[in-house]
Amino acid sequence: MTDISAQPMPSQSAAASIMVGSKGMKKRHAAEARFKAYGVVAIVFSLGVLAFMLFTIFSDGISAFRQAQLTFPVTIDAAVVDPTGTRDRDTMAKVTTFSYAKVLNNSIVAALLAKGIPQEKVSDKELGEMVSKSAPAQVRNMVLADPSLVGETVTISVFANGRIDGYFKGRVTRDTASRDSNVSPAQLDLADTLRDAGILSLGWNSRFLTNSDSSDLRPETAGLGVAILGSLYLMFLVLVICVPIGVAASIYLEEFAPKNRWTDIIEVNISNLAAVPSIVFGILGLALFINFAGLPQSSAMVGALVISLMTLPTIIIASRSSIRAVPPSIRDAALGVGASKMQTVFHHVLPLAAPGILTGTILGLASALGETAPLLLIGMVAFVDNYPGAPIAGFFDPATALPVQVYSWASRSDPAFLERSSGAIIVLLVFLVIMNVTAIILRRKFERRW
Amino acid sequence: MNDMTQSNVDVGAAKVKMQAEGVQVYYGTTHALKDVSVNILDKVATAFIGPSGCGKSTFLRCLNRMNDTVASARVEGKITLEGQDIYDPKVDSVQLRAVVGMVFQKPNPFPKSIYDNVAYGPRIHGRTSSKAELDEIVETSLRKAALWNEAKDRLSAPGTGLSGGQQQRLCIARAIATNPQVLLMDEPCSALDPIATAQVEELIDELRHQFSVVIVTHSMQQAARVSQKTAFFHLGNLVEYGDTDQIFTNPRDPRTESYISGRIG
Repeated sequence: MTDISAQPMPSQSAAASIMVGSKGMKKRHAAEARFKAYGVVAIVFSLGVLAFMLFTIFSDGISAFRQAQLTFPVTIDAAVVDPTGTRDRDTMAKVTTFSYAKVLNNSIVAALLAKGIPQEKVSDKELGEMVSKSAPAQVRNMVLADPSLVGETVTISVFANGRIDGYFKGRVTRDTASRDSNVSPAQLDLADTLRDAGILSLGWNSRFLTNSDSSDLRPETAGLGVAILGSLYLMFLVLVICVPIGVAASIYLEEFAPKNRWTDIIEVNISNLAAVPSIVFGILGLALFINFAGLPQSSAMVGALVISLMTLPTIIIASRSSIRAVPPSIRDAALGVGASKMQTVFHHVLPLAAPGILTGTILGLASALGETAPLLLIGMVAFVDNYPGAPIAGFFDPATALPVQVYSWASRSDPAFLERSSGAIIVLLVFLVIMNVTAIILRRKFERRW
Repeated sequence: MNDMTQSNVDVGAAKVKMQAEGVQVYYGTTHALKDVSVNILDKVATAFIGPSGCGKSTFLRCLNRMNDTVASARVEGKITLEGQDIYDPKVDSVQLRAVVGMVFQKPNPFPKSIYDNVAYGPRIHGRTSSKAELDEIVETSLRKAALWNEAKDRLSAPGTGLSGGQQQRLCIARAIATNPQVLLMDEPCSALDPIATAQVEELIDELRHQFSVVIVTHSMQQAARVSQKTAFFHLGNLVEYGDTDQIFTNPRDPRTESYISGRIG
């Protein structure tokens, strides 16, 4: 014992120098460096996946906002559209879109002739088919709205057929056209010529945001109007239903409810509800709101009720945790000067908890916006051609929602709908970004320190 | 134990403001306060001293029924304010707290302006009918709390932006704005530096000329400096209650002597 303490051990004194790293130190540093590297790899990987997802969505979907359009003078032949010559709307309404198709067909043939563009192997009928099937209805509505147009020549823009549109977006090639009964390689050649001549152009397509859904035969006219309005209705109703109930429930549970077995059970069940698969809520909504309560199916109201059931637990959990985060000293201070429990909550606790409640609510709404499965079950996946009416009656009209529209377009056979599906995802993402930015702005605005 | 409360009521001509008789407090099954009887005198500063966990804060919180907010707390016995039982079912604890104000250990101003902090009590109790009246109450309260000179130019600044000592004086101003008859202070200086502590102590000495002040403190020096009456609590018992001078110079109970001489605590 004594000799050890008397003479310092050489190995010990060497290790004691801080200039020389010990073996153990190296291992510890290596472990730390490895851990950091794992973190960087994980972040790079997730960012890469996100970037890839955004890239594919945008490269597929951005073209949905551009559409091939034909612009040419249309002579509205009085003999066809108004055979009686009365210029009376009701009489003219008897003329169907079939006759207007003839008007358009004649006009485009004349337009090519006037510009001296040879039709080559494309017959007059095939030339007419290059125009969207929605165009006759468009002209008919225009004429019925303004009968003075009869007999005049007006220059109008109509959509090109979806296949022609697909050709300019690279979806349709001469190879596929030769095997396609809807379009021929000759028509594609002519489309190129028309583009050079300025009759056919690819332009911003605002009708993608305003049109309603359309049938499989005319993907070019399919739009998101009904889905956007339906989603707005849904969000509004979910907000109106969830926020008062959710905030009131969390205030009661946090501030007023006695802490006993019952509140424990309620608390556990709220957490459990947040984890229930959304399709289950869809079944519940179908049984409860449609079959039992008799609310109209496919309506925004039923959708909002179902989504509210799913969003409430999220909002309650977020609100409770932000109420709990308010320091108890603030409650003591208010009670100490003689504020009642209610005044304490509404004057002090709630304003301090508001940023957290708002953030939780908006994030809950954002996840509700993307919810699809329950809406499928209550019929919001139906083909809805008409806009829902104005509130409040419009809440009970059939509508669709953005994510449901994405789903139903993605399952159609024509690849033109795939492009529109990606376009709808872009619109959905824009909505989500707006909501998240709102959440951040509101939180910054209401944030206070204590 | 209870004989002490009877023998020392004669601080000048002070009358009894609050009277506690046989107060027992239980937290669940824990017996936190055992049979405490004390007379709180009007216009006198009373100090409660004792080691941590001795029940002095618990007793203080009984005096304005702040223990009501603790679900597991149960209070027995009788506490009267000017002869009226404050635990009577007819008494609204909310109203009581406007009369028996409280200042807490940690300064806890509301995250609002200095003005709104002080005006909050009068506002919720509907004490004022006009803005001018409210302005006056705010000014008087801030003056009484020795904060007016520092705060008069920044009444709309947030109360949380003041220094620790100023915040605590703001809390005192807030408490006295409701015109209380008794002011309870739960270790009001424990989060403050010595200079701020000295200011608050000076303030307590002025305030006790207007109403009763009851102060819980860990510091025996502070108790000796600011109070006229002192109660010593130990393990949930009120060991000794008497004139401050007598407690510190000539304690009757050996436990008091041990505590003030630093042998227990």
